[in-house]
Amino acid sequence: MTKFWYVIDNIESYICRTLLAIFVCLLFLQVIVRTLFDFSFSWVEELSIYMFVWFVFFGASYAAKKGAHNRVTFQFKFLPPGAIKYIEAFADLFWIFFNVYFVYLSIDFIFNKMNKFQSSQTMGFHLSWVYIVLPIAFSLMTIRVLQVNYKKIILGEDMRDPDAIDLDEIRAETAELEQEKK
Amino acid sequence: MESQIILILFGGFLLLMFIGAPITVALGVSTLLSFLYLGENPIKFVQIAFTSVGSFPLMALPAFILAGALMEAAGLSRRLINVAESFAGPFTGGMSAATVFACLFFGAISGSGPATTAAVGMLMIPAMIQRGYGRSYASAITASSGGLGIVIPPSIPLIIFGIAALGMPAPPAAVEQFGQFQTVSIPKLFIAGFMPAFLIAGSLLLMNYVLAKKHGYKGSGEGWSARQIWCELYRGFWALMAPVVILGGIYSGFFTPTEAAIVAIFYTLIVGAFIYRELSWTKLFTALETTTWLTGRVLLIMFTATVFGRLLVENQIPAIIADGMLSVTDNIYIIWALVIFFLLFVGMFMETLATILILVPVMLPVAYSVGIDPIHFGVVMVCCLGIGFQTPPLGENLFIASGISNISIEKISVAALPFAFINTVAIFIIAFVPEITLWLPRFFGY
Repeated sequence: MTKFWYVIDNIESYICRTLLAIFVCLLFLQVIVRTLFDFSFSWVEELSIYMFVWFVFFGASYAAKKGAHNRVTFQFKFLPPGAIKYIEAFADLFWIFFNVYFVYLSIDFIFNKMNKFQSSQTMGFHLSWVYIVLPIAFSLMTIRVLQVNYKKIILGEDMRDPDAIDLDEIRAETAELEQEKK
Repeated sequence: MESQIILILFGGFLLLMFIGAPITVALGVSTLLSFLYLGENPIKFVQIAFTSVGSFPLMALPAFILAGALMEAAGLSRRLINVAESFAGPFTGGMSAATVFACLFFGAISGSGPATTAAVGMLMIPAMIQRGYGRSYASAITASSGGLGIVIPPSIPLIIFGIAALGMPAPPAAVEQFGQFQTVSIPKLFIAGFMPAFLIAGSLLLMNYVLAKKHGYKGSGEGWSARQIWCELYRGFWALMAPVVILGGIYSGFFTPTEAAIVAIFYTLIVGAFIYRELSWTKLFTALETTTWLTGRVLLIMFTATVFGRLLVENQIPAIIADGMLSVTDNIYIIWALVIFFLLFVGMFMETLATILILVPVMLPVAYSVGIDPIHFGVVMVCCLGIGFQTPPLGENLFIASGISNISIEKISVAALPFAFINTVAIFIIAFVPEITLWLPRFFGY
């Protein structure tokens, strides 16, 4: 069961890594086929762009889960760390407002406003199958924002900044490689 | 009407940033509020969410991020540092000059200033101290050259600039006044970045030579170690070939930048798995994961920045800014100086790619309307933002270097000032002499 929840908790990461691996391989196949046989599949480029769009929006949700979306924080330098999380939580209310409104807009667009004939040029399916990623990913992102704030405020966990560079780790790796060299 | 929109858009944006909202949220919410205020249909957001991201050239971004992450995991980047180190030789300041080159090589692959400072500094700062360099000097030169690599192609900031600029055609009034501007393309930007990057590196090397002479940092007594250089070149051969494959592929017209990045990924996979044997499944998955959140967060900004930019252009706000600027001065050199100082300032505390995405819709139309070439503008912009990381008081590279050498930030900042100064001088030269940027692309017929 814990394994199951781990997968659910990192679902965007699994989806994105799979999509990334597939479209990178598809494009490589295209390059190979073009160079060797002077031939190209008409659908590869379009399909990989759609997979890329899915990858981007699920990736944005994953970035929200990691607390990776860039904020400007230097104005908080002189505030106690305890206060910062409440200010950021307040700012995140705007994020939630934006996401909820955007989910509403995208559902309205997909089901009511989209042209019936707006289909993929090379594969024939209706483009709402691609656009559907928008309400799904932005809903997920909203859940992630709530999850991160719950972790920070209620559970009091310290979120690690994914951009921070762990000098000790790099130091250990460098030392290991120097050892090998000798 | 316009002044109210400017107030809602920029005021809302700055206020949200100030209370610590993510940059993408600050952009999105302030644009949405302006849309509602103007009574425009916000359904555009949905279409732009799809069209701003769904483009083939943009796929170069995750592909190059993945290629860079894999090159680090597979040990290609580290071998490049070793090659640079072996060239230190008998020169005055040779070891620190080698650090500058190591940062150039590494930064070109990694695209992140602080990461470059960390990886290069970990090897080179102790090596410099061992040769009798001052601790603060060794840290300062590493921190100062850490941001260099982002101008060297294949440069991720230049890709982002190129994509953002593609959506910003020159305003008709500017075309009437200055003639047709050249079109922006990623290969053109890549080739234009070379000479400016080497000019900045050259300025650092010059300052390094002067200072090393003053401090008496001599080279090793033994002279060149031909054997060691040969050894490192042999070990680093496959790593040195990677840029040849990428850039050669693009400039021979064989690959588009996106395809070149895809080929680089598979090249690195093969070299890393079968020749250097340092790549494991775990490292591969970590590289994929890093690419996921890095791309997700940048391209979410791409979406909100595109709507933001669209709103700006529709309401002729860049034209208002340009008029305001021209009413103060129409001297192109003073305008450049204002632009450079503004970019250096912003680059100090905002993430590079986010800054580019936000400022291109604001500043590029202004640049057009005073007759600045878009390629030239892009290169100067990226050069300025690369320096933001290494200048006191907020430079991130300084913190990393201080963590490695255990010297206070203040001491490193003081030692880094001459480098920041000479870098700024180099940027002014690049801005004032457009030919430095534009000659090479023209020579190659772009």
